[in-house]
This record gives sequence, structure tokens and C-alpha cells, in this order.
Amino acid sequence: MWRITLPGLLAHKVRYALTAVAVVLGVAFMAGTLIFTDTIKNTFDGLFDDVYRNTDAVVRARQPVTPDANFTNQRHLIDARLIDDVRSVPGVAQARLGVGGYAQLVGKDGKAIGNPAAGAPTLGEGWNPDAQSMEPYTFVAGGRPPANGDEVAIDKHSADIGHLAVGDRVTVLTKHSPRQYTITGLVRWGTADSPLGASITLFDLDTAQRVLGKPGQVDEIDVMASPGVSQDELVQRLRTALPDRSLEIITGAQVVEEGQSGIRDALAFFDTFLLVFAGVALFVGSFLIFNTFSIVVAQRMRELALLRAVGASRGQMMRSVLGESVVIGLFASCVGLAAGLGLAVGLRGLLGAFGIDIPSSGLVVQSRTVVVSVVVGTLVTLAAALMPAWKAGRVAPVAALQAVSTGETTRRIRRTVNGSIVVVLATVVLLIGLYADVPHRMRYVGLGGAGLFVGIAVLGPVLARPLGRALGLPLTWVGPAGRLARNNAVHNPKRTSAAAAALMIGVALVALIAVMASSTKSSISAVIDSSMRADFVVSGAGQMGGQSGFSPALQRSVAALPEVSSATGLRSGSARIGGEMMMVLAVDPTHVGDLFDVDVQRGDFADMGDTGIAISRHVADARHLSIGDPVTASFPTTGSQQYVVRVVYGARQLAGDYVLPLAAAQKNFSTQLDFQVYIRLADGVAPDVGRRAVEDALAAYPNATLLDRTEFKAEQEAQIDQLLGLMYGLLGLALVIALIGIANTLALSIHERTHELGLLRAVGMTRPQLRRTVRAEAVIIAVLGTVEGLVVGTLLGWAVVLALKSEGVTTLSIPFGQLLVVAMLASLAGVVAATAPGRRAARLDVLRAISRH
Amino acid sequence: MGIAAASVHTEEPVRSGAAARIVDGVKIYGAGDTAVRALDSISAEFAAGEFCAIMGPSGSGKSTLLHCLAALDRLTSGQVFIEDVEVGSLGDKALTLLRRERIGFVFQSFNLVPTLSARQNIVLPLTLAGRRPEPGRLESLADSLGIADRLRHRPDQLSGGQQQRVAMGRALITQPALVFADEPTGNLDSKSATELLEQMRATVDDMGQTVVMVTHDARAAAYADRVLFLADGRIVHELTSPTTDSVLDTIRALGE
Repeated sequence: MWRITLPGLLAHKVRYALTAVAVVLGVAFMAGTLIFTDTIKNTFDGLFDDVYRNTDAVVRARQPVTPDANFTNQRHLIDARLIDDVRSVPGVAQARLGVGGYAQLVGKDGKAIGNPAAGAPTLGEGWNPDAQSMEPYTFVAGGRPPANGDEVAIDKHSADIGHLAVGDRVTVLTKHSPRQYTITGLVRWGTADSPLGASITLFDLDTAQRVLGKPGQVDEIDVMASPGVSQDELVQRLRTALPDRSLEIITGAQVVEEGQSGIRDALAFFDTFLLVFAGVALFVGSFLIFNTFSIVVAQRMRELALLRAVGASRGQMMRSVLGESVVIGLFASCVGLAAGLGLAVGLRGLLGAFGIDIPSSGLVVQSRTVVVSVVVGTLVTLAAALMPAWKAGRVAPVAALQAVSTGETTRRIRRTVNGSIVVVLATVVLLIGLYADVPHRMRYVGLGGAGLFVGIAVLGPVLARPLGRALGLPLTWVGPAGRLARNNAVHNPKRTSAAAAALMIGVALVALIAVMASSTKSSISAVIDSSMRADFVVSGAGQMGGQSGFSPALQRSVAALPEVSSATGLRSGSARIGGEMMMVLAVDPTHVGDLFDVDVQRGDFADMGDTGIAISRHVADARHLSIGDPVTASFPTTGSQQYVVRVVYGARQLAGDYVLPLAAAQKNFSTQLDFQVYIRLADGVAPDVGRRAVEDALAAYPNATLLDRTEFKAEQEAQIDQLLGLMYGLLGLALVIALIGIANTLALSIHERTHELGLLRAVGMTRPQLRRTVRAEAVIIAVLGTVEGLVVGTLLGWAVVLALKSEGVTTLSIPFGQLLVVAMLASLAGVVAATAPGRRAARLDVLRAISRH
Repeated sequence: MGIAAASVHTEEPVRSGAAARIVDGVKIYGAGDTAVRALDSISAEFAAGEFCAIMGPSGSGKSTLLHCLAALDRLTSGQVFIEDVEVGSLGDKALTLLRRERIGFVFQSFNLVPTLSARQNIVLPLTLAGRRPEPGRLESLADSLGIADRLRHRPDQLSGGQQQRVAMGRALITQPALVFADEPTGNLDSKSATELLEQMRATVDDMGQTVVMVTHDARAAAYADRVLFLADGRIVHELTSPTTDSVLDTIRALGE
């Protein structure tokens, strides 16, 4: 059969090449993601191995409960004097005190370096002069370690960004008030200028304990073994010498593994995100492949029938078409793999733009990447070609002797029934994912969404005739070109709808995301309007659950202003409550009423004291809790603690399900920083007067941004817009594939209608008229796909928004203006897609077209 | 080659009133050793209101002659006039308009646009020009072609004969200077072919239409006023008031 397959492929090079582009894009995305993340993992695995090469064991506090994997290492501190006990253990060559915490540098321009609220962390650490070989940092020539409380060393990456040099005075923000230090040296982390783009400030040990943690206490003690003592043996000896149950002693290898898996977790989201888009690209591409094969099989009906007539079996016909698809799939996957290499380089640049510095090294192409890319690309192509191949097998030999009708022949009733069944099933799966309490809900949502698209694609031809006729109506007023185009589009509804299907998916996803984003934004707005009584918010240095934020000194200095009636900071930390690990807020209960309206239903924040807890109505109902009932919270630092319910509130969008008093945060949270500070002005103080006073107080904190309610809303919305921008960028890929699909379909149908077009030219159609006709047909297809996509996407968005009601998305908002822009862009894109086929059609040699064979 | 060709060659054809003329028409395909001289200094004239048939064996150049006369193809040298307009000097746009306004076509196959109804196909040249048929024109044309009750049908709902009559309707709707027919009966059964030829004859007799038809069929050629015989790119004989027998005799004579 290959002898038939290969000439078939070569005869239709161009149309198959266009088809292959869809597969190439999808595979490139997939391969690029895999290569990129493998490369990063490999780079950092190597860096961690290198940095910890002299760390054979680590002594640190045990976590009573383990927080979810994230960068926040929430652990109790241990007594620094333990290092003497460690040093006396036989087999210990050296020991180092590990001290770390929040520290942020201020650059020459007065701006804080790094944005820990959105990017890599900003860290401070202590330098051990007597265990230098164990330090993860090495000094760039010309620098020396900090020797007293007035000196720091900083990482080279930050020095480059902040235009800082050895000898400069630099302001450092910590949990204390900001102050200036002299830079004594620049350091690198292994071979990198900084760990993952994080900024590093090194203090001498005493200063580090004071400004990052607590005097006399450290995070961990790192131990280096004497020659001949294994890591396991060292850990055994340390455990014997330090029997305290609150201590955890692990090998250096385990620490390296922790660090490496931390990087992997940090990348996992990025990984999944990109792979989802690769999946979307391949899914959209599969429609294009299906369409091309369908058309090609229809065009070759006579040839296929001839083969059947001279004795080819059904199976042989099928295998011939499938063989073509395999060749295309393999070819496109290989090209895609190569393109993926380029994409991986681009992704590194993209991350760099987000402030995450990745040391360049050779790209890592694992055999897994090659196998997965090629297999997935080929299988998708093969699967998309199954139906057309089956049809090819069903061609009757007698068709070779008859004129072939290109009109619609499928029974519409059966198609309607089948399509409706798929749509209904997919909707059920989707609703299960959205509303039912099942594991892996997103999988149901994804499967249901994909099924919905397939179902609508099946229904497409039924819809295409009336829709195409209606949408094409305005074109018929323009002139004969529009009328002919509308006739063409409606004459073969199967082809029209298949070409539109790919665009439908792309537009639907854009509409879905637009509706979700718009609803989320207006919900946030509504929450801020209803729940926030504060006049200003200080934000910009951290986020809930992060390890950075503002020094409590900031809140104190603002609260002390005569223009301010109350100011309170929000802190957060991990805790396990009711069997669930979560981020919990803590706040000074005495000022809650001034600053927030969380719809208190029972109790009073004033009664909270140090041992009270506020819970949401949602949790109170679910766990049957009321005022006075005990609630147990377990912290990674201090373990189980008892609290008593003092408040039940209704608005959980802002506060979550549990709120602890500030005293609980001071006792149990590892980070004593405010991620936001809410401010209310004293009565009678004009907003601009108050603002000026607060801004003066904030001048010492370059990491702080003062926002009024409107600005705060805008900031929250901007975060969503940023994510939205990324999503749109990636969805653009799906739209590009869809447009290639339309161009491909047009090119194929022009090829098929060569004689007809020649005839039109012969009886007096001008070239511009012919181009207009092709363009008009493309517009009908594009508008059809866009309209279908907008309807489906908006409905999907509506369903998702409804399902997210309990997550705080309470308002459904449909961004009509935005959707209108999408519709117009998509139609315009149809015109673009028609350019090349239209030109080709117009260039058609009239004589050749009407010649009989 | 027993028959003289002298009568064919007219001296300096400046006479006006001809629907179409070709003067010293040469058409060469390819170049060098593989060059084929499809038309070899042909001159001919087609008077208004004349029904002329062109015959000749395969490769004699009759289709090329038709394509060049109909402004579908360009001569290598020489001139073609449609109603005294020199076609060779026109650009693509002007040629297209000339075809649309002044020339009608009937082909052997691929004759109708499948997505359009019979009515839409007939008025297609007018539609392309952004015009509507004069009131009653379409109806009387459809009546005279015997397809008045078929106007709403699509091509695949019509018989071959009906399709060709729709094609005739489309060729005639603009009242062109001349209609070119390329093997119009080639795909038709004999009854449909007879009907079509009678209709073509009638348009010439009743409406004064000029028709130039390429055909293989002696019976079809007998409907014409005049038959031109081509061989090797030249006009080798001309027959006026042909009958089936005289056409067949001529073919036989030329074949010897």
C-alpha cells in the first residue's frame, strides 16, 4: 500500500504541508515545554549538588504538621548553642549556623529590588566565617564577608540590577525598621549570579539573628563529616548525641532532594499551564487535519473508486489514507520537536522577563521528550484521519464511472441526534466537574469542555446552512461576489462548519476566559466596596502565604500619625484546621470593626482576646460550630493549639474561613511581617491631607505602595489582567491554527472548483470580483466560527462562574465590548486567511481551468 | 490536398460589420525543438448573423482557434477583432469585460455553476456586471429554450440537455456579438443534441445571433451556414450550405 500512499502524498504536497503546520505548532509547544523544564531542573539539580557538596547532615526543628509544598519553609527556630554539642560529636569536621529570613535591598534609584509579591523571593542570610567551605555563596574577587553589624554582602544579580558596588551604602528592609549598611562584597550562588533570581543579603551571624530571626536562635545547623564518615553514619551519631525529640536530623542528600523538589514544584504550575495550551493547540489542530483529509478523500473519490474497481480492498483503502496520516504525523512531529528547541530558548527569555534568572546551560533533550512528542503528534494526526479513512474505504467502485456529487448527502436527522447526544453527555460531565464533589474536578471540566466542542462540531453542518445563510445575508447586498460566496458556503455545510470548528474552539476559549476574568474582577470590586471600610491600603511587598512583607514598624509608624484613626496589618501562615492545611489570616482584633465589614453575624471581634478565633458562617454551618465552641489549629512551628469561637461572619471572600488574633500569629507564624496594612483616617481629615501624612511616614519603605480604594481595586484587577494577557497570548496560537485551517479549506475548495472558477472567469468575472468572492466566503466561515465560539464560550463562562460562587466569584459579568472586539478581529482574520487562496484563484489560467481534463 | 484554398483567403479584410475576424493568426506552443505551431497564419471572418462550424481532426488547431477568437487565449502573432475591437491590445480587465458583454460561451461540460439555480446561472454575466435582465427578457429566452419550468432547479437536478439549454440561455442573455460553442453536443444523447442544435439554429434565424461552433459531428456541422475545415493549423477548405453528406464527403476527401 505504501506504493500508493507515497505518490498520493507527493501529489498534494502543499495542502498536506499546511495541515502539518497545525501538528508542528502543537508538538513544538509540548516539546518546548518539556525541554525547557528539563533544562531548568537539570541546571538547578546541578547547582544544589554543588552548593551543598560539603553539607552532610542538617539539624533543625521538627515540623509537627507539614505545610503544603511551597517555597515557604515554616519551621521553629533552634538554639544556636546546640552547635557546641554538634561539634563535639566524633566524625564532625565542621558545623555552620543557618540563619535566614526576609531582607530586601533598595537600589541606587531608591526603588526596592525584586518584587517578592509576584516574583522571586528576597532573602537575608548569616555568614559563617569559620565554616566558609560550607557556605553556598562564593565571593566575587575584590570583596570580603561582612564583619560587623554595619556591613553586608549582596548577590551579584541584585548588584547589577540596583547599580550597587562594593563600598556603597545600601538600605536594607527587614522586619525591623529600614537601615543602611556598607557593602563589603558581592557573592554568587554556585555558578549562578543568584539562586533563581532571588535577591540575597548576607549579614554577619549576630546581626543576621537579630534582623532576620531571634538573637541566639538559628533555623538550622549544617554539618560536614570528617573524611571516611558517611552521611548516614553522621546522622546516626548526631541523633544519639542530640536525643531531643523536637529536633530533626537528616542527611545532606535529603536536603538537596528537598531543594530540588522545591524547584520542581515551583515549575509544576508553569509546566501544566503550558502543556494545557499544547493540548489545546493539538486539539484545534486535529480539527484541521480531519477537515483536510475529509476534503482530500472527497476530491479523490474517483481515484479511490478506480482503485477499488481494479481490486483494492476496503482495508487497503483505509490503510492507504491512514498511512498518509502517519507519514504526515511523523514528519510534522519531528519538525515540531526541532521548533520546540527554539521555543525552549524563548521560554527562558520569558521567565527572565518575570525577573526569574535562569543560568544558561545546554538544552536538555531527554529521550522521553522525543518519544512523547513524536508519539503524541503522530497519534493525534492518525486519530483525526480515522473517520476520513473509514469513508475512503466505503467508496463504491461504481463511483469511478459516475459523476461525483459534492453536495451534502449525510442524513441530517441522524447527525442531529448524534451531535445532541454528544453535547448532552459532555454537558453532564462538565456539570459533574463544576458542581459535584468528586476528585480531579478539573479533569471532568476539561473532558466535558472538549466533548462539548466535538458535539457542536458534529452538529456544525446542521447549523451551518441556516446560520451561514443568515450571516451571509449582509454580504449579498454588497454585490454578486457576496452572493456567490454565500452560495458556496451554504452549498457544502459540512466543509464550511468543519473549517469554522477550529476557530469556534479558539474563540470559545477566549470568550470563556474573558467572561471568567470580567466576573472575577467585578466580584473583587464588589467585595472591596462592601467589605472594606479602610481609606487606604499599603501593599506591594508580599502576598498571603509569602515569606516577605512589611516590617511591623511600618504599621506602628502609620498608626502613630495624628491623621490616622486606626491602622492594622494582615499576617498569614499555614495551619491545619478541621483536617485541612490552609493559609490563615491573623489581624489585630481591636481594629477589625473600623477597617472591615465582614458581615459579623454573631459575637464581636472586641471579645476575641488572644485565644479567640473568628470563623465564617460557611464553616460554622458545615462543622456545626457556634460561639464558645473549641477549634484546634495545628501549626508547622508549634503544633496543636486550642482556640475558642468568638465571632461568626458572613463575608468570606476577603477573610477566608478562619481569622486568628495577632497574638496567635506572633506565637505560631514563622514570618512576622504584614503583607498588607489597612489604614483609616481620623474623622475630619481630608483624604489628600491624610494621604500626604501617610506617604511621608512611608518614605522609609520603598517597597510600600499606598493605594486608596479605587487604586486598590485597580491593582487587584491588574493582577488578573496580567494573567489574562498571558492566556490571550497563548490562545492566539489556537487562533493562528484555526486561521491556517480556514486558509487550507479555501485553498482546497478552490482547487476542487478550478473548472467552476474558470467558467466564471470565462463568462466575465473579473479578478477582483473573484478575489472578493473568496474573501467573502472566508468571512462567512470566520463569522460562523466566531458566533458559535462566542455563544459556547459565554455559556461555558457562565457555568464556570456559577460554580465558583462559593469561591468568591459572586457576580456574572459578560464583557460585551471585549467580545465584540474578538468577533471583529476574528472576522478580519478571515479576510487575512483568504488572501493567499484568493490570489491563487484570481491568477488561475482561464483556459487551463476550462480545458476538459 | 486536391481542393484549392484560394477562396478562403480574403484580400486585406478591412470590411466592417463582421462579428469577429482573425488576421494572420499564429499560435505557437512551447519553444525550440518542442515548439508546436497550433495556428499557422490563419485569417478568417465571421459575419454578423452567421452560424459557422469549425471542423478538423484532433490537433488541427480548431480549439486553439476558438480560444483565441473568444479572447480566452492570446495569439503569438496576428490580430483578432471582435466587432472591430482589436483584442490583443486589451488588458485582463478589458478582456474580461469584453467576454462578459460581447461574447457568450457554451462548453461541452463544466458548463454551469453547481451552487446556483438555472435562473441564477442564466443571469450570471449580468449579475457579475451588477445589472438585472430587462423585464421579460429572461422569461422569453427561457420560453424559447424550453426551460421556463426549470428555472428554479439546480444543475444537478437537470438533464444534460436541459443543462446545455441553460448554458445557451446564459450565453444569450447579454445579447452578445457572438456565441462560441465548443463541442456543445459532445456529452448529449442524439435527441437532446438535435433539440439543442435546432435551438441554436433558431437563435441565428430568429434573433440574428452570430454563432461559432467547434464540432466533430458532421450532423451538427450540417446545421451551420458554413463549415471551415482545419488541418495542421491552417484552413484547408470551406463549405457553404453544408449537409451531413457534403460534410462527410469533404472529411473523406481531406483525409486522402
